Amino acid sequence: MIKNVLSEIGGVGLYGAVSICLFFGVFTGAVLWAFAHRAGFLAAMGEMPLHDEDCVVNPSGKGASHE
Amino acid sequence: MTTEKFKYDNRIVRAFAIATVIWGLVGFLAGLLIACQLFFPDLNLNLQYTSFGRLRPLHTNAVIFAFVGNGVFMGIYYSLQRLCKARMFSDALSWINFWGWQAIIVSAAVTLPLGLTTSKEYAELEWPIDIAIAAVWVVFTVNLLGTIVKRREKHIYVAIWFYIATAVTVALLHIVNSLEIPASAFKSYSIYAGVQDALVQWWYGHNAVAFFLTTPYLGLMYYFLPKAANRPVFSYRLSIIHFWGLIFIYIWAGPHHLLYTALPDWAQSLGMVFSLMLIAPSWGGMLNGLLTLRGAWDRVRQDPMLKFMVVAITAYGMATLEGPMLAIKSVNSLSHYTDWTIAHVHTGALGWNGFLTFSVLYYLFPRLYRTSLYSVKLANWHFWVALLGMMFYVVPMYWSGITQGLMWKQFNSDGFLQYPNFLETVLQLFPMYRLRAIGGSLYIVGAVLMAYNLWKTARSGSFEPDTEVQVAVDRSASHAGGDSGRFAWGHRWLEARPLTMTVLALVAVLIGGLVEMVPMFLIRENVPTITSVKPYTPLEMMGRDIYIREGCVSCHSQMVRPFRSETERYGEYSKSGEFVYDHPFLWGSKRTGPDLHRVGGKYPDAWHFNHMDNPRSTSPGSLMPRYSWLLTQTIDTNAVAPRIRALRRTGVPYPPGYESRAMEDLRLQAGKVVTNLQSGAIKAKPDREIIALIAYLQRLGTDIKAAGATTTATAGN
Repeated sequence: MIKNVLSEIGGVGLYGAVSICLFFGVFTGAVLWAFAHRAGFLAAMGEMPLHDEDCVVNPSGKGASHE
Repeated sequence: MTTEKFKYDNRIVRAFAIATVIWGLVGFLAGLLIACQLFFPDLNLNLQYTSFGRLRPLHTNAVIFAFVGNGVFMGIYYSLQRLCKARMFSDALSWINFWGWQAIIVSAAVTLPLGLTTSKEYAELEWPIDIAIAAVWVVFTVNLLGTIVKRREKHIYVAIWFYIATAVTVALLHIVNSLEIPASAFKSYSIYAGVQDALVQWWYGHNAVAFFLTTPYLGLMYYFLPKAANRPVFSYRLSIIHFWGLIFIYIWAGPHHLLYTALPDWAQSLGMVFSLMLIAPSWGGMLNGLLTLRGAWDRVRQDPMLKFMVVAITAYGMATLEGPMLAIKSVNSLSHYTDWTIAHVHTGALGWNGFLTFSVLYYLFPRLYRTSLYSVKLANWHFWVALLGMMFYVVPMYWSGITQGLMWKQFNSDGFLQYPNFLETVLQLFPMYRLRAIGGSLYIVGAVLMAYNLWKTARSGSFEPDTEVQVAVDRSASHAGGDSGRFAWGHRWLEARPLTMTVLALVAVLIGGLVEMVPMFLIRENVPTITSVKPYTPLEMMGRDIYIREGCVSCHSQMVRPFRSETERYGEYSKSGEFVYDHPFLWGSKRTGPDLHRVGGKYPDAWHFNHMDNPRSTSPGSLMPRYSWLLTQTIDTNAVAPRIRALRRTGVPYPPGYESRAMEDLRLQAGKVVTNLQSGAIKAKPDREIIALIAYLQRLGTDIKAAGATTTATAGN
């Protein structure tokens, strides 16, 4: 049935308009979503890769300095 | 709060790292060989297994899936364990992933020179290998998601979102584009035909660049750059926008590979507009990377790893600005089919993927072997030699592309083409091709220096198979739900739910694909059929399969664009209805030689015979390989019936039972070609492959010229 419905769609330009709306919707949503976070949480998340070696038992002194 | 001890698995990281270096060298060397073949055709060795058409996909597959693929796994297996504070979900799955992937690479290295190919770019491998790729990818995805689920860290760092998007989208792209009907153990036909096959292929091809060469590497950038710079990413907020913006928009842009082709105009425009939008998230990510180095630029001078990283991110920025520019139709009309595309691709491959991989390798080896890098000086030499090599590669290719594009379009004052002989435009490019080979050689010298440096680093240290870790874990707060301190919502809530995030990422990429494909497949006006277009005869079908086997599509397009410069040179522009029986489509993406869509009837059969035996006998100075084996090898007549059956299953209207009469038709048509050759003083046997290929070439683009050809808008097959 869906095939028949879509086969009869006239003016596929509708897809262009829908896609632009979708783009702006998603992009605006992502921006709003990102700005809804507390700065403290974002800072902690950003630090995550810097502390992932802190818990290593017997860490090697070498390697980290790149000479 | 309890303390838990466990170990990170370094063995799997080391295995992928070594594979990355080895396959990188193999892929680069294959690239250098085919680059040299273009100005010195004798390097094709007059052997079918080493001809350009068969080795070109070997180069692209080796670099994309072997070098970059192993590099992706290397980086993910290292960073994922540390970001999740967990060992990989299953060691067994890790090793199935490793050995399965290496087996796929080896099978590609064997089958592609043998001519076993689907001809679809970056998806050339035949159906049994396609199934193996899907199986190994599922293993990787289960291992990835399993590790994330059992993590000891509540939130999921941005790098892991990119890994999740990579895993689900590559699986989707690969499966949809690889749907094919097998005709034998190593021969299949795409279930899609013509313009629909083109749309699916470039939806795949474009997003293979997006989700295999870009998103996993962005994940690696977000992990390894802060570690190398010893400072957090510039803006975590920007990384959220970067991620969702990029994965949502990227998937729509595929049709920009098909501008001015027979693809319906609305789909082309959609691809162009979304390509331009793509600048926003791409540059957001690039700036986020470069600004992470604010206040640390002094370290870039000293640390080769950071040097590589900075060039990689800059190359990413350049390529992601240039890509949308090339997607503008007026720019594309000049750049498409020329070396400009090759320059663009290699800015990304050599700069973004290559330099970032080198950076990660220089980071990992000293850590895996608990030592210092053997020689920082050698790494700096690698950097400068590789950078010089990259410049010597891309600058001549830009020059070559623009030169040839302009020459194709040039008319003289009398209104005729200034360069009507295609070969004239090729001969201009030889100096640039030689410079490109110098650039490629320098890049390889750099990679050899790196391999030596890493090997000496490994020798000077002792490998740590497992890194022992001790963390304090609060099991009372579930990973999925707990978010003490404030009301959890939005992305913060989502980051704690990997499976929900996986589904949302999949939905984001599905939307673009569906909006493009559903109307393309279902709306009848999109592929108007032409009454005079008929299925290929058995001999032409076998000739087409030889064309596919020899990789002719690597250098010859079959798509005359609606420009006067093209219709003057080649003939009537191509219509979508002419390709309804083309499984797969063979439009191509590069014109190292001329377009062939209207070559049917242009030359006598004897010309084709002589040209395939030695192209320089008919076209002095031509860079095309010789195909003399076609004159001695016999047509595989046993394959005719199963191939007709397979094509019928894809929708080609061969009558029921036709396969039993097909050989009769084949012999009849072969006899006619032999008679034509005799009139050109050539004696040939009717069972030779050259006969089938000539029959196919003489059929190309001729259906539309048949008397009474009418166009009707009926359902595309």
